[in-house]
Amino acid sequence: MTSSFVRDRPVTEAPSRREPRPAWRSAPGAALVLLGALSPWASAVIPGGAYPGLATLQFFDAPYLVTGFRLHLLLLGLAALLPRASRAAGAGAAVIALVHIAFLAALGVLSFGGPVTLAGGALLIWLGRREPAPEWKLPSRALAWPILVAAFAALLWAVSAMLTAGGQSRATNPHGGAEFLSFLGFAVGLFGILSAYGVLSWLSALAERHRAFSLTVLLACAMLLPLTEAGTGYWMTVASTIGIYAATAIGLNIVVGLAGLLDLGYVAFLGIGAFTAANLAHVVSFPVAALAGAVVAGLLGVVVGAPTLRVRGDYLAIVTLAFGEIFFRAAQNDIGGLTGGANSIPGIPPITLFGQGFDQPVGGLPAGFLYYALTVLLVAGTMAVLANLKHSRTGRAWLAIREDEDVARAMGVRTGRAKILAFLVGATLAGLAGAVFAHKLGTVGYESFDFSESVTLLAAVILGGMGTVPGALVGASLLFVLPEKLREFSDYRLMLFGLALILIMRFRPKGLVSS
Amino acid sequence: MTLVAERLFMSFGGLLALDGVSLTVPDGGVVGLIGTNGAGKSTVLKAVSGLLRPHRGEIRLRGRPIHHLPAHAVLAAGVAHCPEGRRLFAGMTVEENLRLGGHLRRDRHVAKDMARVYDLFPVLGERRTQRAGLFSGGEQQMLAIGRALMARPALLMFDEPTMGLSPIMIRRILDTIALLRNQGTTILMVEQNALAALMLADHGYVIDLGRTTMSGPGTDLLADPRVRAAYLG
Ligand SMILES: Nc1ncnc2c1ncn2[C@@H]1O[C@H](COP(=O)(O)OP(=O)(O)O)[C@@H](O)[C@H]1O
Ligand SMILES: [Mg+2]
Repeated sequence: MTSSFVRDRPVTEAPSRREPRPAWRSAPGAALVLLGALSPWASAVIPGGAYPGLATLQFFDAPYLVTGFRLHLLLLGLAALLPRASRAAGAGAAVIALVHIAFLAALGVLSFGGPVTLAGGALLIWLGRREPAPEWKLPSRALAWPILVAAFAALLWAVSAMLTAGGQSRATNPHGGAEFLSFLGFAVGLFGILSAYGVLSWLSALAERHRAFSLTVLLACAMLLPLTEAGTGYWMTVASTIGIYAATAIGLNIVVGLAGLLDLGYVAFLGIGAFTAANLAHVVSFPVAALAGAVVAGLLGVVVGAPTLRVRGDYLAIVTLAFGEIFFRAAQNDIGGLTGGANSIPGIPPITLFGQGFDQPVGGLPAGFLYYALTVLLVAGTMAVLANLKHSRTGRAWLAIREDEDVARAMGVRTGRAKILAFLVGATLAGLAGAVFAHKLGTVGYESFDFSESVTLLAAVILGGMGTVPGALVGASLLFVLPEKLREFSDYRLMLFGLALILIMRFRPKGLVSS
Repeated sequence: MTLVAERLFMSFGGLLALDGVSLTVPDGGVVGLIGTNGAGKSTVLKAVSGLLRPHRGEIRLRGRPIHHLPAHAVLAAGVAHCPEGRRLFAGMTVEENLRLGGHLRRDRHVAKDMARVYDLFPVLGERRTQRAGLFSGGEQQMLAIGRALMARPALLMFDEPTMGLSPIMIRRILDTIALLRNQGTTILMVEQNALAALMLADHGYVIDLGRTTMSGPGTDLLADPRVRAAYLG
C-alpha cells in the first residue's frame, strides 16, 4: 500500500494572507531571455573560430541554428513561464549571460544578446515566486525502479555533459572555459527548477527507500561513463584524478564533518600514502603497496592526532597546519631520501593485476578505463565507510564531540580515543588514495602536497556539505574539475574558490548537499 | 550510603573553589545542595562525575573510591550528571540525544528505557525526530533529564534543573524529580532556588565559598532563620 506513505501537504488549506503572484509576472523576464537567446551575441567575428553556437555576426547566415548556450537559454526562457520555475531559470540565464559578457568583453567585443538576457534573468529572479516546494507521493515499487533507473541515467548524462563541456583544452577550443561555465549556469538553472518543483527531494526520498537498488544502479551508471561522450582516454584520466581527490575529501569529511576536527594539513596523508607506495612500487605488487600506504598514513595520523588531543578549535587548526608544513618541507628537502626532493620519484610502474597493465585499454574500452574503474571503487568504498560510521555508535560519539565536547564526556564518550580514531580513519583513507595517485601518475613530487591542496580539499568538504555522504564527492568534483576546465584562469584559482565559498555560505550555509 | 564525598579541595589557578566540602547521599534519598552563585555547587558535581579531578579528598560510590576515575568510568559505575544549563546536543534529534545518554550501555534494554522516557515525557515521544535545539526551555530540561535517565544510574545528579523556566515548568520538573524519588532513584540536586530544593530534599547542605556551612533535614533548614534570611529572601 502506498497510501500510508502519503505525506501531509504543507498547509495549503489555510488561506494565505498574501495573494500568490500571478503567473504573468514572469512573462516579461522570460520574453527578454528568449529575445536575448535569439539575438547576436558578439558585434564582431571572433578570432579563433566561431563563438559557440554562432554567437557572432555570422549568426545572420543561419539564424535558426540554435545550439549550445543559446539552446540552453531558449529552454530556460520557456521554463521560466512555469510559475515555480521562474526564479531558478532566471538565475541560470543570468549566470550564462554574465559568463559570456565577461568572456566577450575580455576579447574586446561587445555583446547585444548578453545584457538583454541578463536583464531578463534579473527580472525573473526579482519578480519570481518564492514558495516551499510541493511534496509528492512516492510511487509503488513497480514504478519506482524504472523511475530510479531513468533518474540515474539522466544523472550519468549530466555528469558526462558537465565533464566534456567546453572540450579538452585551449588547444582545441579557445572558448572552452566560457562554454564550460555557461553549461554550469544551465545546470544550476536545471537543478534549481527541479528542486523548486520538489522533484529532487522526491527522488532522494525514493532512492532512500530503495536504497540497495539505488546504490547498485548508481555504481553501474558510474561504470558506464566510458560509453558516453566522456569515453576517451583523456576524460577517463581526468575523471580518475577527480575520483582520487574525491576519495581524499571524503576521508577529510570524516575528520572535519563528523568529528569536527579542523585539519589544515590533511593533504600530507595523501602524500605519505603516495610516497610509501612509490618507494615500494618496484618491490611489491600494488595491493601490498596500497595497504602499506594506508597503514603508514594511518599510523602517522595517530602520531599527529595524539598530541593534538589537548588543543581545541583554532589551536588544533594551527597544529595540523604546522604538521602539513613540516611534511611539505621534509619532502621538498628529501629528508630520509624517501621523496626524491626536487627531482620527485619518477618511473613508478603502472598498476598491473593478472597481467593486465592498468594504463592499457581493455576490450573496446578507452585506455585509462581501469584506473577510472579503480577510483570509482575507491570512492564507493570510502563513501560506504563514511555512511556506516556516520550511523554507528562511533559516529554518534563524534557528532556529540563536535557539538559539545564537555557534555560528550559526561555522557561517557571517551573523547581522546574517539578523536584519535577519526584521525586514524581519515589518514588511512587518504593514504590509500595516495597509493593509487602515485601509480596512476607514474611520478610523485612534493609539489602536489602543498597547503593550497589542503585548503582545496577543505573547501570541497564545506562546499559539498559537512558530514553528508555525497557532499564531498560533489564538492571535490566541482573544485577539481574547474581548474582543469579553466586553465586560462589558473592564477585566479584560489580567488575564485574563495568567491564560490562566500556565495555558498551566504545562500546555502549547509553546503550544496544538505541533509 | 550511595555517595560519600570527604573533604574535597579544588582550585582553579589560585582560586580555591572547593575548600573541604563533605557530603553524603543515602540510598534512595534526595539530597539538596544550595548556595549562592559561585559557591562551588557545580564544581562539587563535576568532581563527583569525574569531569574535574579534586586535588585532595575522597569520593566513594557504594564504598568504592571513584575520585581517580575518568568520566566514562564514573558513569559506568553508576553516576549520571544532568548538567547546568541543560547542554543538549542541539543539532541532534530527541532520539539521538537519548541514545547518547545510553552511550555506554551494551545491553538489550536501551529501547525499553527509551520508551519509558517517552512515557514519562509524552512531548518527547511525539517529537522524537525533531532537533533538540527547536525545543522550549522546559522541554529541553525534560530531554536533559531523560538523557541522564538513559544511563540507568544508581545516582542521578541535577545541576539547577529549574533554571530559567516558567513557574508552570518548574512545577512540572519538580514533580518529575519527586516521581523519580518515589520510584526509588537516589538523587543529588543542586539549586539556587532554595525553597524548591529544600521542600523536595530529605537532607540539605548549604555551601558557601567552597565550604559546607550548614546541613540538616530539608524541613529544618527551611525553618532555620539564617537560611531564610540568606537564601529565601
Ligand atoms: N573552569 C573554571 N575555571 C576557573 N574558575 C572556575 C571554573 N569553574 C568554576 N570556577 C570558579 O569556581 C567557583 C565556583 O564555581 P561553581 O562551582 O560553578 O559555582 P556555582 O555552581 O555554585 O554557581 C566560582 O568562583 C567560579 O568562578
Ligand atoms: Mg553552578
